[in-house]
Amino acid sequence: MPLKFRLGNGEKGVLRTSDLLFIQKMLKTMRNPKTRFDSREFVEKGEDYLFNYVGKNVGGVDEGRRNFLKGIVIGIAAATVVGVVPGLRVLVPPVQQASGFPKSLLTDSSGNPVKASSVPVNSPIIMLFEYPLTGEPNFLINLGDKDNNPVAIAPVEVTVPQTGKSYKFPGGVGPKNSIVAYSAICQHLGCTPPYIHFYPPNYVGPSQLTAPEPDTLTAQALLAAKQANVPALIHCDCHGSTYDPYRGAAVLTGPTVRPLPAVLLEWDNSTDYLYAIGAIGVATYPEGADGTPSQDPNSDLNTSQFGSSVGDKTQLQASTNPFSGS
Amino acid sequence: MSGSKRISGWFSERLKLEDLPFFKTPDYMYHVNEWLGALVAASFIYTIISGLILLLYYNPEAGYQSTEAIIQQVPYGSVVLYSHLYGAYAMIILAYVHMFRNYFAGAYKRPRELLWILGVLMLVLTLGASFLGYSLIGDALAVSAVDVGAGIITSIPQLSFLIPIIFGNYDTGDYERVLAMHIILVALIGLLFVFHFFLAEQYGMMPSRKVKPKVPAVYTKEEWSRFNPWWPRNFVYMSSLIFITWGFILAVPNALAYLNGLPQFLNPFMNPKPAPPPNSPAAAHITTYPPWFFLFLYKIADFTSDVVVFLLIGVIIPLVYLVLVPFIDRSDELHPLRRKVFTGIGILMMTYLIQTSLWGDLAPGVEVSVKEQVVAYLIPAIIVALGLTFMKPLENQGKVIKGTSPLTSILFVIVAMLFAGAWVELLQYPSAFTFAVTAFFGSLFYLGAKEMSKVVLTSVPNRALPETRQATVSTSNETKKKFAEILMSLLFILVVILVAQMWTIPPTGYASNLFGVDLGLVFLMLGEAISLYHYVVYKKPNEVVE
Repeated sequence: MPLKFRLGNGEKGVLRTSDLLFIQKMLKTMRNPKTRFDSREFVEKGEDYLFNYVGKNVGGVDEGRRNFLKGIVIGIAAATVVGVVPGLRVLVPPVQQASGFPKSLLTDSSGNPVKASSVPVNSPIIMLFEYPLTGEPNFLINLGDKDNNPVAIAPVEVTVPQTGKSYKFPGGVGPKNSIVAYSAICQHLGCTPPYIHFYPPNYVGPSQLTAPEPDTLTAQALLAAKQANVPALIHCDCHGSTYDPYRGAAVLTGPTVRPLPAVLLEWDNSTDYLYAIGAIGVATYPEGADGTPSQDPNSDLNTSQFGSSVGDKTQLQASTNPFSGS
Repeated sequence: MSGSKRISGWFSERLKLEDLPFFKTPDYMYHVNEWLGALVAASFIYTIISGLILLLYYNPEAGYQSTEAIIQQVPYGSVVLYSHLYGAYAMIILAYVHMFRNYFAGAYKRPRELLWILGVLMLVLTLGASFLGYSLIGDALAVSAVDVGAGIITSIPQLSFLIPIIFGNYDTGDYERVLAMHIILVALIGLLFVFHFFLAEQYGMMPSRKVKPKVPAVYTKEEWSRFNPWWPRNFVYMSSLIFITWGFILAVPNALAYLNGLPQFLNPFMNPKPAPPPNSPAAAHITTYPPWFFLFLYKIADFTSDVVVFLLIGVIIPLVYLVLVPFIDRSDELHPLRRKVFTGIGILMMTYLIQTSLWGDLAPGVEVSVKEQVVAYLIPAIIVALGLTFMKPLENQGKVIKGTSPLTSILFVIVAMLFAGAWVELLQYPSAFTFAVTAFFGSLFYLGAKEMSKVVLTSVPNRALPETRQATVSTSNETKKKFAEILMSLLFILVVILVAQMWTIPPTGYASNLFGVDLGLVFLMLGEAISLYHYVVYKKPNEVVE
């Protein structure tokens, strides 16, 4: 029952019920000889002593209660830590694994599909697209003869000198069956464009012997081109590996012991669009301690940590002309 | 002696927790007003931690793609990225609040001048670091913001040497330099923070005006040594504030991530997601705007075509003023109404900052004539000047509540209706003019409501009666403490349920942001529980906020 007093015609509360009970309890404790209130100390220390006294003896926060509350706080903190634990997965980098080859439409840099009939023949400009994973560049080449007329590329058996095994390169696609795509990562030690690139017929000649890097052709490469009777080459300036773009990027000169893997292209003759649908040849990256590649290009889909699947579209970049400097 | 007690005793002895040289705090200071700096520091620390996680994944050579990869592929990457952004937002807002609070409290005065200047420098660095961080995303907005920023610098030929220093090869898509500058600026903030913190510890927190009404407002050693030591009470109180800050930083952006398609004028404030990349067709259709904390500069650029004038108004004058204010305002008064000129300037700076930012948001890039500028900026100045002229510092507490005459009641009703009308008008036709009108009626309404509320809310009869100060001497806050204990137990149960649910949230994809929301809520509840613990265990019944 709260304590009130009446003044005029208004009632005024003085003490709430809880306070009244508290005071009773406090007075009782103060009189109790065991927990006697030390008035001398009170005079000395002032209200701090009073509050400490109340806190300790009268319902205040005693040891047990404090420990209970501490337990709850520690419990919540522990639960928070447990809650943060799954969040630590943020430290585990996502490993990209592509389960298979996507069918990817080739687009230009503004997102429009590339038309097969408008791919320039024997272009000196390096045309690259990423496939099947991001960070894995491939050449797109529309092959022509010496006079830059497109030539049909026939299916051919390609031998891997390192293993002696061979596989079937399916040939070119497009209106003239002249468009091919090869991995742009040199199979020797992994050089990428502009060190490895396509040499159109007008750049396959003695003048390239003294051209600056990355356009130098070695004498062996020129000789091999002559012997194989090919007008154009893929040549890597790092160590001089040469590939034959007309015959499935087969090895023309070392030091490479493996041909470039080929990207399987599909040409839709109603829309003139080009699609990358798979790969054939050796794996893009050699596996195992001896550097012997797997015959199966699928194998590095499962082990590659270099990118994610390009998805259903891949952009054709045609920005670098390696010969512009020479 | 129980085991846990022995362990904590061992640690507190080794760490010398009992006599840490940190500031001892008087009872009345356990109120968030006095701890705004701790809130800024908490958001700073959060932003550093989340930023370091992002640093593991961010690739400055492919800014936009790696941002997208962080959002889409990294487990809980979007949670970290969005909360990193909002950690920076929180830091900026709290830094402003911290600054203005101390400005009005006169905390820049002797002997805290250096502390104040360091703080102003840290604000500048924070804004700079935030701008660079915002640029790292490489979306259409960031690229345009960098273009605008670089444009401002290059228009002063003597400054254009700064472009490669700050931005490097940003235009070619190489953000290496911007990333490095971002980290360097943050490291500088950290360095200045150390000085700022230890200087603040040296002078101690600013005593209440009731205790020390005049400069120098510092406690003497004797007074100081009687206060609550840092361990454990300050530690407990501070950790509750830190966790609550972190909770908001995590929960808000991750909840906002579920909003789709906001009205354009809300985007700068509420959209945590990146815009399309600058080279995409979609980029042509978006309205570009700077990050919200530079909207005010964006609007000032509409006032004048002269870059020097623009820099003077928007950057140099306010900054120089803030740095020099300890030396201009040399009186030893601390009460804001006893240094009316400076209080007025402070209120106007705050008003103009908010007003211009909102204006830049609502009407970006719309040229403003001199007449409109005068209208928009003179009205607040007049209101402030008039208001301050007639306000007097309250000396005696025995306030007399006057009754209201029927005439004032009618006036108040009219003002209220005008305010409501202006508000509707502002929502419908957001412009500087409607904003100014709304602000004007809003402040009138506020003042009126404050007057009226005394009459309406207290049951004092409508007669001039001296208020009898009710001496509610509460000898104990036991009931409240019981209630707090029950709340703590409830919070514990809630946290356990939430945490169990958090383990089921997928790390990527649409649902993953729920993890951030939940973690934020857990932090909030942890902070709240610690705060309740502080209340139950340490709060003395006679503590009041002063």
